[in-house]
Amino acid sequence: MTATPPVSQPAVEALEETRARHGLLRYAATKAGGALVSIAMVIVATFFLFRLLPGDPVRALAQGRNMTPEQLDLERARLGLDKSLPEQFVQFVKQTLQFDLGTSYEYKRPVLDLIGERIGSTLLLTGTALVMAVSLGIWQGARAGWKPGSRFDKFSTAISLVLWSVPTFWLGLLLLMVFAAGVGPIPGVFPTRGISSVDAPEGFAYVLDVAQHMVLPCLTMVAVVYAQYLLVMRSSVLDEVGQDYITTARAKGLRDDDIRRRHAVPNALLPTVTLVFMRIGFVVGGAVTVEAIFSWPGLGQLFYEAIRVPDFTLMQGTFLLITASVIVMNTLADVVYHLLDPRVRSA
Amino acid sequence: MRKVLAALAAIALLALPGTAAVAAEPSEKVIRVGVTQSVDSMNPFLAVRLVSGSLQRWMYGFLTVPDSKTLQPSADLAESWTTSPDGLTWTFKIRETKWSDGQPVTAADAAWTFNKMMTDDGAKTGNGPAVENFASVSANGQELTIKLKSPQASMLDNPVPIMPKHVWEKVPDISKYEADVYPTVGSGPYIAVESKKDQYVKLEANPNYWRGAPKIDELQMIFYDNPAAAIVGLKKGDIDLIGRLAPPDFESLKGDENIVQWNTDGRRATYLQINHGATTSDNKPIGDGHPALKDQRVRQALHYAIDKQKLVDEVQNGLARPADGSIIPPMYKDFFWEASGDQKVTHDLARANKILDDAGYTKGADGIRTMPDGSKKLAFRFSIHTDAPIEDKLAEYLTGWFKEIGIQLSTKRLDSSKFSEETGTTALFDIAISGWSVNPDPEEVLATHLCSRRPTASGEGGGTESFYCDPQYEDLYKQQQKELDRPKRAEIIKKMEERLYTDAPVIALYYPNNLEGYRKDRIASVTPIPEDKGILYGGSGYWPFYTLEAVTTETAAAEGGSNTGVIAGVAGGVAVLAIAGFFVLRRRQGAADERE
Repeated sequence: MTATPPVSQPAVEALEETRARHGLLRYAATKAGGALVSIAMVIVATFFLFRLLPGDPVRALAQGRNMTPEQLDLERARLGLDKSLPEQFVQFVKQTLQFDLGTSYEYKRPVLDLIGERIGSTLLLTGTALVMAVSLGIWQGARAGWKPGSRFDKFSTAISLVLWSVPTFWLGLLLLMVFAAGVGPIPGVFPTRGISSVDAPEGFAYVLDVAQHMVLPCLTMVAVVYAQYLLVMRSSVLDEVGQDYITTARAKGLRDDDIRRRHAVPNALLPTVTLVFMRIGFVVGGAVTVEAIFSWPGLGQLFYEAIRVPDFTLMQGTFLLITASVIVMNTLADVVYHLLDPRVRSA
Repeated sequence: MRKVLAALAAIALLALPGTAAVAAEPSEKVIRVGVTQSVDSMNPFLAVRLVSGSLQRWMYGFLTVPDSKTLQPSADLAESWTTSPDGLTWTFKIRETKWSDGQPVTAADAAWTFNKMMTDDGAKTGNGPAVENFASVSANGQELTIKLKSPQASMLDNPVPIMPKHVWEKVPDISKYEADVYPTVGSGPYIAVESKKDQYVKLEANPNYWRGAPKIDELQMIFYDNPAAAIVGLKKGDIDLIGRLAPPDFESLKGDENIVQWNTDGRRATYLQINHGATTSDNKPIGDGHPALKDQRVRQALHYAIDKQKLVDEVQNGLARPADGSIIPPMYKDFFWEASGDQKVTHDLARANKILDDAGYTKGADGIRTMPDGSKKLAFRFSIHTDAPIEDKLAEYLTGWFKEIGIQLSTKRLDSSKFSEETGTTALFDIAISGWSVNPDPEEVLATHLCSRRPTASGEGGGTESFYCDPQYEDLYKQQQKELDRPKRAEIIKKMEERLYTDAPVIALYYPNNLEGYRKDRIASVTPIPEDKGILYGGSGYWPFYTLEAVTTETAAAEGGSNTGVIAGVAGGVAVLAIAGFFVLRRRQGAADERE
């Protein structure tokens, strides 16, 4: 018997696993800490950034109606704008930490309520569009990258790039005019506005009604963004094509499609995953332009209105929400990346 | 991956048959009005937007409304009224009618509404200025007594909707109340029954309405985020009427046989605001206006240099009326003043040059004039809004004409909040574009040129449109406030317009037309206000929407709807089947691959 008992192989693996899990936790904690610091900085920046904007919100709120100086002062006091900037700032930070985003100047209602009312429709639209754009981009990108220079590659890349360069507003209006109003033999089957019909049916018919309202805005959003997923996917598949393991798979006599689907694509997905996670963060922000064209009652519209006034509290609130969700999603992306790719772990 | 794709494609295409479900036309008479402004609040004490004001007119009674023919104040919830000789006490007899929930309307409702606004700062947001001059309001049965602090001839254009006390007195905090309880309790021609934020408001005819229920069953106000989409909606028939159109949108309706292009005199005036030496409310100079503009002769020369007809033709596509008057548009016949004879300023560059020559502003070698003492060139800035193509075009024409009289004009584009700050508070401008929508009683727009409207030294308060402060104008304003005889008051108001025209702190350019469109296959008749060529949406009062009549040939509308539905359904179904088939085949092939 030797002094040190031999450590069995499985035990070593278990130890390494524990270490790895601790490593992941520590890693996640570090990332989360970083994210918190970022959010804190965003809170501070938000407050001062929006006060740099020109314009007097009280006057803007008067909206061309006559108001006496007394009334303007009264309004200013109501909005807390009569206090000094440091006082306003302390008040703002205190409230924000209690998840109170204040009361909108324009709507006279809590910002959180306004966001709550609209976040659902925004998530529905941008979320669906994101899933569709990612799926389309990955699918086309993988095939294009697999046979670079092929007719499919040239065709799909060219189309996606053309759509990418088209102004969203122009494309949206065009789709609206053609498929909502109808041109020539094309019937106008899609609605011209909103998330549901005014006399919306109940139950499953309502789901169909909403889905029908979503088609054109979704199509617009997908068309203008899917190129980025396509290009990223295409280039990473292109990187894999020459790899040894692909040659091995070929040598085994696997069909080309199978090699692409089961070997190349999984390895090529990583950069796309990062991109997707970054984009998820922006989902909350909605799409101001698309929402404006199709009168979609979402956050983008709310944010746009807020800037126009300017409605400080509403702008702060929506801006905070958008930046915070981007930060959270980026952090999450870091963690997921860590799980997906061993190389990140050792780094 | 393919499964996901297939599922998504199916969802997207499944959407198509949805039309069939929606296309089932309600058998009720429904009229849909498109608007491009969203409702800010259903609480009349808080709402400030024009769209909300229109809703209030449909939902609630007011003391008086402008008469549909003459626009003069006429009875609404107040059946009749008397005024004390000193003009300080007004007694209104409130109509014996019922709220939409069956409760009687009394003077106590009106008194509660006004008193709430006078005592609760939170209730002042919507219409605060309207009760500013009220000393006290009391009720006795159907008799409402309002005591004023000073005489006020515009009392009969009070913009406050009378609210049902028995419903609203239970609201703990008006400033936080959303008023989203439906159906609403009101005394107007319609009752709101449903509202979705930023989407639509549904109103039903009020069967208890004292004039009798409207001739349609339901009125819908449908929100579009941008005018282009709303135009598509009108052409398609998703909405039946839309008002407040810009000239290009209006012209795009041309040629549609189902659409009536409604083009009438508007309620707005577009004018130039000139920094003629801006001062604060304690008469200290403010801003950086060009000294030459303090000279009335320079302002007059500018006026002579402008070809208003050309502006109407080129900038407004001919859809406006050149302004030979001041800030009150010709739509308001009683109060409209027009220059004539020698006083009338017409496009005359030679005369403009002569005025400037005579006044000692000599041209330099570069053709630009200088101040008589040679200290400064006559180079003015013209402040306009960003993203306003019409204003850009206007600037081009003005620059050209002013060059002809030796004045250099440079355009300064500002976003709207900066614009209102520089031209309304800090006076950092020379010449600025401006405009104002005028109510049937023009007191409000006249007041924008009062001394008291100028900002304080610290840049607080205000509401001035010109930084104007003229003893003669102030005096006339006070006179018209006290004058309860309408024709006499109109004469005084015309003198005020004349003063603005000749002294030229503002130069009226044109009166943009009121441009609207509606579907004649849906709307059988609608009475504008005023009745001869007036406004449909966005005017004052409820007349157009109270008198709406729907086309009753229901079959026509229903057929059109279900056709589209059927086509969509079939197209959708075919597409879904095709896609499904495609993916099933692909799946089979995939499975075969695996087996190999």
